[in-house]
Amino acid sequence: MAPSSETATVRVLCQKLLLSGNQPGTLQWLIGSPFFPPFTVVSTFRCIHHSLDFQLESDDLRKLLPKGFEVIGGLIVGDSDAEKSAVEAVRAARRLRKHLSEGGELDDEKIVGASCDVGTGTIHFFISKTEKATKLEPVASVVYEDKSGKYLWENGCLLHCELPIKLPFYFPASSPSDSKEKFSEAVDAVVTQFKEPCAVYIAETLKKASGDVPKPVVLRGKDLGFGADASNINRLPAADQVSDIKMLSCSHFCLNSKTAAAVNSAENADKIHISVLLNRSEKSPTSGAPVAEYFPAMGEARLIVVDLNLDVLTYAPKDLPLMHAVSDLVIPALVDQLYSLKKIILPYLLMEHPQLRIYHFNPPGVLHPITTIYELNYGETEMKQVDVRKSLHLRLGLPLDRPLLRTANALDLSVNDDSRSNVKKRGSFLLKDVHIGIPSSEVSEGVASLIQGSYEYYHYLQDGFDDSGWGCAYRSLQTIISWFRLQHYTSIAVPSHREIQQTLVEIGDKDPSFIGSREWIGAIELSFVLDKLLGVSCKIMNFRSGSELPEKCREIAMHFENQGTPIMIGGGVLAYTLLGVDYDEGSGDCAFLILDPHYTGSEDHKKIVNGGWCGWKKAVDSKGKSFFLQNKFYNLLLPQRPNMV
Amino acid sequence: MVKAVVGEDTRLTSVEDRLSHSAIPAEVGLVIGKLSSVLDRGFVFDLIPTPSNDDGEPACSVLETKDDKRKPSKSKSESSSLSIDSDWVAEHARQVSRMLLGGMKVVGIYVWASDAAFKNSTMILCQAIKGVTDAIRHLDPSLDEALLIHICYSPRRWSCRTCLLSSSITSSSLRPCDFKLGRVLSSLQRFKCSYSFNFRLPIYREGESTAQSFTDILRRELAIHAKELKSANAMVDGDLVHNDEPCNTDGEHEVELLFPFMKDSRAEALTAKNITGILLFGGSIFSYAYLNMKEPVSQAITDIKADIIRSLQSRLDIICDEAEQDVIPKDVGDDEDANEMSKIPISKLIFKSSTKICHLRLPRRVLVPWLADMYICDYLQPFESHEVVKERCIELMSMEHSSIDASKISEVETETSLLIAESMWDVISHATSASNFRLEGNVERTMGGDERKRTSNAGGNASNVPILVGIFVLLLSIVIGFMLYQSE
Repeated sequence: MAPSSETATVRVLCQKLLLSGNQPGTLQWLIGSPFFPPFTVVSTFRCIHHSLDFQLESDDLRKLLPKGFEVIGGLIVGDSDAEKSAVEAVRAARRLRKHLSEGGELDDEKIVGASCDVGTGTIHFFISKTEKATKLEPVASVVYEDKSGKYLWENGCLLHCELPIKLPFYFPASSPSDSKEKFSEAVDAVVTQFKEPCAVYIAETLKKASGDVPKPVVLRGKDLGFGADASNINRLPAADQVSDIKMLSCSHFCLNSKTAAAVNSAENADKIHISVLLNRSEKSPTSGAPVAEYFPAMGEARLIVVDLNLDVLTYAPKDLPLMHAVSDLVIPALVDQLYSLKKIILPYLLMEHPQLRIYHFNPPGVLHPITTIYELNYGETEMKQVDVRKSLHLRLGLPLDRPLLRTANALDLSVNDDSRSNVKKRGSFLLKDVHIGIPSSEVSEGVASLIQGSYEYYHYLQDGFDDSGWGCAYRSLQTIISWFRLQHYTSIAVPSHREIQQTLVEIGDKDPSFIGSREWIGAIELSFVLDKLLGVSCKIMNFRSGSELPEKCREIAMHFENQGTPIMIGGGVLAYTLLGVDYDEGSGDCAFLILDPHYTGSEDHKKIVNGGWCGWKKAVDSKGKSFFLQNKFYNLLLPQRPNMV
Repeated sequence: MVKAVVGEDTRLTSVEDRLSHSAIPAEVGLVIGKLSSVLDRGFVFDLIPTPSNDDGEPACSVLETKDDKRKPSKSKSESSSLSIDSDWVAEHARQVSRMLLGGMKVVGIYVWASDAAFKNSTMILCQAIKGVTDAIRHLDPSLDEALLIHICYSPRRWSCRTCLLSSSITSSSLRPCDFKLGRVLSSLQRFKCSYSFNFRLPIYREGESTAQSFTDILRRELAIHAKELKSANAMVDGDLVHNDEPCNTDGEHEVELLFPFMKDSRAEALTAKNITGILLFGGSIFSYAYLNMKEPVSQAITDIKADIIRSLQSRLDIICDEAEQDVIPKDVGDDEDANEMSKIPISKLIFKSSTKICHLRLPRRVLVPWLADMYICDYLQPFESHEVVKERCIELMSMEHSSIDASKISEVETETSLLIAESMWDVISHATSASNFRLEGNVERTMGGDERKRTSNAGGNASNVPILVGIFVLLLSIVIGFMLYQSE
């Protein structure tokens, strides 16, 4: 079925095969899928254990890469002989595969070896047919596909299985050293349970907008065939009329295929939820009428209960029988994850257990979802967690100054959609990105530099709180914090006026009487609060007169290009939020995109734009009136985008 | 609240025939049936007279009022009232409800009495109902109403009242309802479920469990178990139950119960603590339930679940009743211990002080053919035979001696072999290979008095291979022991 080497074609689905920031000698794993034609590269991960610690590397990949995808080769950024580098990459990939399969027989697999010339950036592909063959076969053609997301999700779906386990284990109090062994035994017992005849797997989909949802399908442990290699499973013909439930394919639950809507990311992919249950009505020939038997511990024993919240995501082609998807993807994924969790918990077994939470992400540029295990005892901003995220960013080739793998970025696969009810709970709804769709500035040759990312528009009288006349700076601060929230730099709620005042009292900037007062705050106070609540530092620009502002327009434009955060304008006058500037270098003509917190009306975009509450303001308008007052001083607060992940 | 009650035609006419030919002035007994709140209907399967009490007196008699001085001419019956041994009727209800399968219950009492006697005895009847319902409530916590059926002999008439159960039952709790005869038993659907469980309960060194006896711990366990069972998913004939439609197909339906994987409510409650040992509580229960054709399938699931819990509860009750009656040690874990423990039955044992392995066997359920194609059940202790079952059916269910064929009693549960283990560590490490740690034919190491008892009864249940093996090993060990003794 595999094409002969002469005609072998490498298909590259991912947009950017070469991860940024690669030094010569960097090794990248090429990720494919047993369900795709051979030599199809879906994505690539950087090898981050530089001394090539295959144990650590395979542990990491086992956690990270969903079942249904696998390492199919390696790529080395080399500066010398292309083939020599490729041979090295192949060797590494073979070793890694061996570690991942834990001693399975893998000799005759075809592996893709690639090397990239550092200077030119050209990538050469080779195929290694067997482990023994020292010579690599050249590749006839390389196809770089676009719309690859569509290919992935039109033909495949995600299987999601959440399984919280409370695992008790016992060990003699006199010898705590036995605890690890006893815990391992208990974990092994769970693994055997997955494959017992009494295990039952129920597959179902969530109700979508359209009413008809297929009935849940029950798969019994005794019917599941184990041990088959995922790639060897018979794929089903397209025929829909499969009477045997055992041969029902995943597409039974896939609704998208009919609507043919744009499915190009894991977020909108077809999802099948698998729940694991135990059938207590499975006949066991050895048990009879109930008996209670007491066994003493012979000395003191201790009981410890370990929380293991398994949560796996696997990828299966739609024509794969559901039964095989469960036995060859979901169950091995559960087993792998269980062992991964065990490994993390083992050193802390007798202490406070790490609170391990599992998240799935679909980071930009990566076609398939990835899975991470985070330890959240001390929250996600703790240094250890930051390092974990940094190395993940590095591995996936993600930028190191954008939080893309925070818990707030995680894919929402939950069965009960709490996320939507949260919005309802808050009662009021806020407008987002009100500057979109406003009339353009009147700067003819100008280049507009705007904030990057979304924000919420906070203004007077919101939430039934009367702050008219004093709360404009507070509202501007809320808008700024909402920006940090929406970019996932923080997960704290946008603080109320009172909470802002409390923060200022806490840090000693204000007296306790300040809380509940109607006192103004300015740019300096805002910088204190941003620092305290978000750890964000700010730059402040001072202007003795409003007329000086246009002179600094270039500098402000730089801020929007590099930092992209909203700016607060304070000083001797009213507070505004600045969202961008439009600047014509030639003429020096400029305009400022002002978001005005003094608006007191309802959340009506038209009203806001027509009233000029969000709009371009020229420093000097056509009537000769200055927007920034000559006789007042101004402070601009420029929050710096945190360099963090 | 039930609005109409249908009684099984064939049974109730035969009861009426029997009563009218018997010339007994009054009789009280239990109503067996089912009340469906979904259908607002009650179904009466049979009426069972309460037997005479331990003193040989009938449970119900007619009292003639003594104030006959004023109007001696007035007919006796008008001033008569009933006297009911409420405690005895309640005890009867308690014992009978143990013998009922899912979907059948003691739903009230009936009286055979004259109109006047009935009218003069409302208070007595209310007390009897209260007694009955209190006696069976622990087996049926959802109980909230009961029936009072009156069979009047002159004129011959049936009437039915429903009684709303509250803390105090008065005449105002009684409401008349429609009563008619019809076909009830032939329209029942049958549901079968084999339920296996295996729990590992830690016995803590400190805390509440230290002062609890064996049966106390099991009772508490049952309460947790009942809760867990309530939320279990179910399949009928391989299909998940997710709607409330009636079941349309005939024949015996197979129910399967599904539980969350390794996340039972017990583990939630477990805390990291020091323990003295573990209690393994497990086995298979054969559960059965009857459903009226019009009731939704979900009701059958509820009934099956209730039957499982009721069955466990009943078995435990039997063990406890036994322990109350005699203090002869039975089934003590180890021979050496026999002296030290001789004063406490194993069911009252407190583990804290014990470093010995011990066990408690719950009785086995057997099914006995009853009316039409229906079954009732009974529980057999290891030392009991089918004859005991027969006696109980005659006494409690008022079945005819000739109608019970001992060979028709079906053994739906086998005797469980015990684990061979020295301590909990053996048990735990064995559990890794969970499927084969209960070896068939294993013989318990305890050779107490009950072994010998069983020997005498072995003829009654030839199917009991483990016991035969047990006897064989017992004999073998005696012979070997004898030989060794001789050789020294």
